Amino acid sequence: MRKWVLPITIVCIISGLLLSLQFKAQASLSSNPIGQRNKALVELIQNLEQEIVKYQNELTSLREELENIENNKASGQEDIQKLQQKVQKAKLKAGLLSVKGRGIKIILDDNKAGLNANPNDDPNRYIIHYENILNIITELKLGRAEAISINGQRIVTPSEIRCVGNVILVNTTRLAPPFEISAIGNPDFLEEVLISGEYDLLKGAGFPVSYTKYTKENPLEIPAYTGTFQFNYVKINE
Amino acid sequence: MWLPLLGLLFGAIIGSAISFQIPLIYAKYMSVAVLASLDSVFGGVKSVLEETFDGTILLTGFFTNTLLAALLAYLGDRLGVDLYLAAVFAFGVRLFQNLATIRHYLLCRSLKNYKGCPRK
Repeated sequence: MRKWVLPITIVCIISGLLLSLQFKAQASLSSNPIGQRNKALVELIQNLEQEIVKYQNELTSLREELENIENNKASGQEDIQKLQQKVQKAKLKAGLLSVKGRGIKIILDDNKAGLNANPNDDPNRYIIHYENILNIITELKLGRAEAISINGQRIVTPSEIRCVGNVILVNTTRLAPPFEISAIGNPDFLEEVLISGEYDLLKGAGFPVSYTKYTKENPLEIPAYTGTFQFNYVKINE
Repeated sequence: MWLPLLGLLFGAIIGSAISFQIPLIYAKYMSVAVLASLDSVFGGVKSVLEETFDGTILLTGFFTNTLLAALLAYLGDRLGVDLYLAAVFAFGVRLFQNLATIRHYLLCRSLKNYKGCPRK
């Protein structure tokens, strides 16, 4: 072996090591600094959402526990049974129970075809905004809807429908199109208010919207509200 | 003859196999260090062809150049001077010069009637 082989081989090994490490670093750097920042923010959001799910699970289990305690106490006592029925009714009104019944389901989606046909137009004209959803919800309430949900998020007293950036928040959960709005109530009433309001405007503007009525035989299901009710400042006025 | 190339491959495989990754903020300094180390490799090959090879000079040159390049780039960043560009320029130019010389020597060896042989 000639005398130059060993030193050059050593240098080559280290160079190869450095090269591949640098390759790896560059590959993970592929996105720009803004992308990285976004990545950090997305991670933050995901962590927070996980936390929300954790707390919701905790809440559900606590509620179950409460129910168990109520059931245990109620053994054989008629008064307490009546009280329990009241509690159940109150829960139903508060939206804490999963419900089913006749109703209507509306599906709203962004007008992608319209945007593709007019690519130079303002894209805002072709997406479903939170106002659209808000208006439809209000109209459904007008049509005496008894339970409403959007993409599985039950609408209750503290529920918000809010636009944050390019997503819509309902019950602090991010929703993306297509939006599925379910409402339990008299399907004919609901249809009536629907086709003479926001829904009709969206349809007229070319949005791919549709609705289906659900009958008694084929009931619509709406999940329970899983969030919390906070009453820190409210006191009963006696 | 083929040992250095195998070494390069071997190093690359180790580098991609281990899970260690350079923190992204140091990637810039690392890039200068990589350039310096590549320069040393080609400088070594050139000196072999020139028959002026000295193992000690190669190894010390390799380590000091690589470390100094990274350190200077880092210092430059602290001072607000893009010394990093100076290192890229210096090593880049040297790299291409070394490559040219190596090419000349190889041509000289393979073609008997090649006129542009470098003088020794």
